[in-house]
Amino acid sequence: MTLFERGQFGRIRLHVLPTKRFKTFAISLFAGRVLAEDTVTETALIPFVLRRGTAATPETKAFRERLDDLYGAGFGFDVYKRGDSQIVQFRMDVINDQFVSSNTPLLAASLGLLGEVLTEPLLENGAFSRKYVDAEKVTLTKRLESIVNDKIRYAAERCVEEMCANEPYRLHPLGKLAAIEGITPQSLFKQYKTWLGEAALDLYVVGDTTLEEVTAYVRDAFKLADGAATSYPAADVTHQVREVHTVVERMDVTQGKLNLGLRTGVAYGDDDYAAALMYNGVLGGYPHSKLFLNVREKESLAYYAASRLDGHKGICTVQSGIEIENYEKAVKIIREQLESMRQGELSELEMSQTKAMIANHLRELQDSAYEMIAYDFNAVLSGKERSAEKLLEQVQAVTAADIVRVAQNVQLDTIYYLRDRKEA
Amino acid sequence: MQPLEYKGVQETLYREVLDNGLEVIVLPKEGFHKTYATFSTKYGSVDNWFAVGDGEAVKVPDGIAHFLEHKMFEEPTGDIFATFASQGASANAFTSFDRTVYLFSATEQIPANIETLINFVQNPYFTDTNVDKEKGIIEQEINMYKDNADWRVYFGLIDALYHTHPVHIDIAGTVESIYQIDKETLYRCYETFYHPSNMLLFVVGGVDAKEVFELVRRNQAAKNFKPQGEIRRLFEEEPTSVKTPHKVTKLPVSLPKCMFGFKEKNTGLSSEELLRQEVTSKLMLDVLFGPSSALYEELYESQLISDSFGTEYNANPGYAFSVLGGDTPNPEQLLARVKAAIEQALESGLDETAFERSKRKKIGGYLRMLNSPESIAGEFTRYRFRDSDMFDVLPLYESCTLEQANARLLEHFDFNQLAVSIVEKPEA
Repeated sequence: MTLFERGQFGRIRLHVLPTKRFKTFAISLFAGRVLAEDTVTETALIPFVLRRGTAATPETKAFRERLDDLYGAGFGFDVYKRGDSQIVQFRMDVINDQFVSSNTPLLAASLGLLGEVLTEPLLENGAFSRKYVDAEKVTLTKRLESIVNDKIRYAAERCVEEMCANEPYRLHPLGKLAAIEGITPQSLFKQYKTWLGEAALDLYVVGDTTLEEVTAYVRDAFKLADGAATSYPAADVTHQVREVHTVVERMDVTQGKLNLGLRTGVAYGDDDYAAALMYNGVLGGYPHSKLFLNVREKESLAYYAASRLDGHKGICTVQSGIEIENYEKAVKIIREQLESMRQGELSELEMSQTKAMIANHLRELQDSAYEMIAYDFNAVLSGKERSAEKLLEQVQAVTAADIVRVAQNVQLDTIYYLRDRKEA
Repeated sequence: MQPLEYKGVQETLYREVLDNGLEVIVLPKEGFHKTYATFSTKYGSVDNWFAVGDGEAVKVPDGIAHFLEHKMFEEPTGDIFATFASQGASANAFTSFDRTVYLFSATEQIPANIETLINFVQNPYFTDTNVDKEKGIIEQEINMYKDNADWRVYFGLIDALYHTHPVHIDIAGTVESIYQIDKETLYRCYETFYHPSNMLLFVVGGVDAKEVFELVRRNQAAKNFKPQGEIRRLFEEEPTSVKTPHKVTKLPVSLPKCMFGFKEKNTGLSSEELLRQEVTSKLMLDVLFGPSSALYEELYESQLISDSFGTEYNANPGYAFSVLGGDTPNPEQLLARVKAAIEQALESGLDETAFERSKRKKIGGYLRMLNSPESIAGEFTRYRFRDSDMFDVLPLYESCTLEQANARLLEHFDFNQLAVSIVEKPEA
């Protein structure tokens, strides 16, 4: 397996994977800070404003033309939460020069642009541009309001929000609607300076390059104050459930969305993480899993019925779309699957199929630059170095007893149901 | 097995048409761990009226191609997902307007997985019971899409554009139409469209081309397919005009969703003309409406659009149309502004600098796509079923001239051919 070369420039940790397998350079910059109610909204708004223009290229149209001129370099950002952190990720994707005729090295130009975006924003009177801040406040508002448009996602997010009502994790990574109005170009700029000064910064590059080359480009492009790199705090995944919290919400929907939130007590860095992966896989990760077979294939109750593991928060969630009146039936069947996991009703076949699927996933992520980056970033986040090969070995070694041990600590925390408005 | 070398993008494909008519393409990707394979039939939701050779024409219920896709996964021995899982492969399938695609990706047991893929698709197993059981599942799939505002606004637009062409029918059909489906009709469609001569196998990834061809040849030689006459796909005549100029759907959404499109008047182009039309239209749309266009900035500044605004172009032998739009607080105002911009462009033509920039962008986008085995297999098959070659797209972008793009602009934007689809929240 090809390995990331590690370096450092000031507060930025550098991770470079030299490879000739791709026709592009893939670049990701992660900036993470503690997820907290009083900073979540401004932190979310920062990348929206930064992408509008830089000191050297103040106009958005000109900024986007610069990207187009780099053979349509991809540029995007995302804001999400992992464990107890809020992470802003910038992503760039640019063609390897050998396929096109270009005057400037495209990797240098791309890192130059990213450095400008992050460290040399457009300023007016010592603050962000009012025009851009105002416009992006509207955009962020629309984004938060539009969450309800996608009912599958809305239900999934509401379930976690209810489940983590007393933890920072209840917060949406894009922040709170009510907090947007009060943001000013001055307050946001102040928050930006704090963010840039304290965030954990990791820059990844995958492509036909070297650590030396990337370090040289970064030195030219990122105008950051010196200091030590910040690391991520360990997430606390212990949580005692007293009683199952049930929430029913009504809306004009045709299909009911049923979501269950479970506490696994296992974190990404724990020794039992491989067993937790197996638990999720046997329960609902795949089309051969218990949820798919019992909720969909046996009972024809749903088109989708699956589970997902969030290792950084120690949460496993179950989601399904059902006929409104099948709520009790579906909950009963899903709870039966959870119970059968606890009882150790795990066949040899379920074990071997799930291991083969997880193994396939861990091997094939090496064919995608961004997936390799995402996998490696897990180590940065959790402080746990564990290569995909190592995790694969651990998964292969998981026994039924290991899964039962995990299953017996899994606690059902929340049942969330989004249904129609008709009263029963 | 014949090598097809594409030097500019450093890729070599291998192609062979087997005796039974099956077309096989292999694209080895050095250094890749995974292999991705698709087994596709040129059979989609629009193929609901057909005949074979000089046989009698038959009309089948809407949504049957998709229903068939679901049912193929069931074998007498059980669910085929289980077999794939035991072999470490992640399998799936999808149905679109013009094709049904079965696929897997795996890093191990590649020969076994390729055989499983071919064998399960070539082994239909429908019973009255298993067909009935599937109806409940598909009903929930249809209901899931009913609640999906993005899906509804998009398919609402196609429904507004077309009177009779079956592209306007939902791919999964309706709850009513799927309950009319029985095993006899499924077998009939299967026999017609799953004949090897109507199918394409595409394998891309860390494979040896020669080994793949040997395996597929051996597998197919052991099976008996009677030669089949030509499939005739029948369509009612589609009027030139749009069906519903303005269509509104009510759903709980935070902001209205508005999509609009122009329906092409000329259909029945040769595959070559169609490909050029697609490439030129996409370029032209990007110059006028892309994120670095003057109009985009103006609409964003006046809060009429958000990041969701975009365009696409769909070109097929029987139907072709553009799609523009996204979320907007005011669909009428958005339309008026876009119309004004189009009128101005019709007068003045496209800006040359912007055109050259869009070209570079499209070329870069195309090369980026070649990083993804999934995209290569998908795009190659899509173009192949239209008798075109995906690798012709890059030279077409490179050679496209401003004059061609301007001619396309004049031809495409005819306001009589415009339809609008809006999803907005119900009155309180």
